[in-house]
Amino acid sequence: MQSGDQSAFEYLYDHYSGALNAVIFKLINDQQLAEDILQEAFVKIWNNFSSYDASKGRLFTWMLNITRNLTIDTIRSKGYKKQSKIQAAESVVSYTSNNIDENNKFDSIGIRQQTLLLKEDQKQVIDLAYFEGFTQEEISKKLGIPLGTVKTRMRTAISVLRKLLQA
Amino acid sequence: MTKEEFISSGLLELFATGIASPEETQMVQNHLAQFPELQQELNEIEMSLENYALSQSVPPTASVKEKLLKELFSNEEKKESKEAPVVSINKKYLIPLFYKSIAAAVFILLIGSMILNYSYFNKYHKAQDALEVAEKQLQQKEKSNEAMSRDLDVVTNKYAMPVVLNGTAHAPDALAKIFWMKNTGQVYIDPTNLPQVPDGMQYQLWGIVDGKPVSGGMIETSKGTYHIQKMKSFGKVDAFAITLEKAGGSPTPTMDQMIVSAKM
Repeated sequence: MQSGDQSAFEYLYDHYSGALNAVIFKLINDQQLAEDILQEAFVKIWNNFSSYDASKGRLFTWMLNITRNLTIDTIRSKGYKKQSKIQAAESVVSYTSNNIDENNKFDSIGIRQQTLLLKEDQKQVIDLAYFEGFTQEEISKKLGIPLGTVKTRMRTAISVLRKLLQA
Repeated sequence: MTKEEFISSGLLELFATGIASPEETQMVQNHLAQFPELQQELNEIEMSLENYALSQSVPPTASVKEKLLKELFSNEEKKESKEAPVVSINKKYLIPLFYKSIAAAVFILLIGSMILNYSYFNKYHKAQDALEVAEKQLQQKEKSNEAMSRDLDVVTNKYAMPVVLNGTAHAPDALAKIFWMKNTGQVYIDPTNLPQVPDGMQYQLWGIVDGKPVSGGMIETSKGTYHIQKMKSFGKVDAFAITLEKAGGSPTPTMDQMIVSAKM
């Protein structure tokens, strides 16, 4: 039983830790702290696994919510301000892309085809909403675009992603 | 909204990325309940987002996994203590409730047992008192029974020769009986019908042997009950007499205090 649990956990970790780590990186420009949060997030995910309800959404969505909330809580408790969250989000881009432009970065990870089709402004709304937990109003304010544009841009961006999924 | 209108509204996308307002969320949930096939649509949106997230993966340092495996699977105690603050809230409410009912049950049992104890303790004491009384009575009965059977042994002995000592002028109503064992010369006296002894005085038996009075011993009357008593033996005797003497007896009889006598 114990070893079965462990292999299930390892599967979860191997499959999702990179994506969740990227989400934390988008919010915090500190590799050590980000990995501490990731570790804490997986402990929380594992210990609360019985409360996951498959009928309410996909497992990854649930894990992402736990991770994102934990990260935001940590930022608040560490004395970060909302301002610095946005700054951190921007500086993470430079960290993850290692000061190389977007295309090269995806080249290096080998997923260029996946996201090349996604325009930068589409990617922005998804990242801010899905990864960083901003509200519609906050995104509208931050990007300086009307609320309606946020909604249509989101829909367009996701339809691109869905086509990629079917391809 | 029809199903198609709803799909093209973009609300599912807002919902999936977590930025739907409370009103929009409510609307999505209503439509999902109304059209179960929308669940598939939502699932595809979530999958595409998940796929996108996976494409952005930044693998963490390998040590993170090692630490996690160690924390979650090799040391259960450590895991417990780490999660203690979260669990304690539940424990606060769950465990006292559990223990409360146990404590209540124990308390009721304790009270019940105390009542039983008290009642049994009382019963036990009463029973013990009654037993003591009964034992005392039995001892008394045994004693008197013993004395009576001793008396009877003397009386029914086939060698016993009864001698009646009649009252003298000093005590005309007094009477004593002697049982003289012809084979052994043992002398038993039954003082039942002698008058009450005054304080500081005692009856003394005398045997007249060759015209001289010889003390036959003191007659025990202080116990209240006059039983047949064994006196000194006389192999040969002319007469018996009982005198009233001072306690402890006298070397010679006080003749004017002779109560009963009998000639052989």
